[in-house]
Amino acid sequence: MLSGFLPFVLSFWPPLRFWSHWRALAYSIGITLVIYGSWDVFAAWRGHWYFNPEGVWRFRLFGLPLEEVLFFIVIPFCAIFTWEAINYLKGRVTK
Amino acid sequence: MKEYTILAVISVITTVILDRTSKVGVLKKRVFYLFLAVILFFKLLVNGYLTASPIVIYDSDFFMGLRITTIPLEDFFFGFSMVATSIIFWEYFKRREA
Repeated sequence: MLSGFLPFVLSFWPPLRFWSHWRALAYSIGITLVIYGSWDVFAAWRGHWYFNPEGVWRFRLFGLPLEEVLFFIVIPFCAIFTWEAINYLKGRVTK
Repeated sequence: MKEYTILAVISVITTVILDRTSKVGVLKKRVFYLFLAVILFFKLLVNGYLTASPIVIYDSDFFMGLRITTIPLEDFFFGFSMVATSIIFWEYFKRREA
């Protein structure tokens, strides 16, 4: 939640025109969520890693803590936002 | 068997193939590596905290056992693949919309 807050607020900064591509955003986050979420479900099921019950909320979805599911939405969002922000800033420097 | 190690390597290879076959080609751009450096910095903070506390615990049977600070090496592969995949699909769909 913390890692997503600032990029989410900044994503409304008009020059980025970030939300005009909300469909592309939804598709790319959705696909990443399914692929890497499945990997996580598999890994948690096989026991590659596990979650300290004291560190996460008790609610589980496909064997994953809710925080972990949110991770797969928040991180792609932050990644795409950072990517757009860097490209925007780079464009301003070179112009 | 080092299943996490194997999956991590497969994910990196798959991501490179995806970038090529989709013709998006972000991995060839220099700005992508600047972007990765920014992501890496925050990854070290967040992933470092999660592995040091520890909130996420790794079974040593499934990964190589190499850690950078407290973070398993495989996590960097996982992170690279996941972040790169989201950017590749983002660029792909954005171009299709345009």
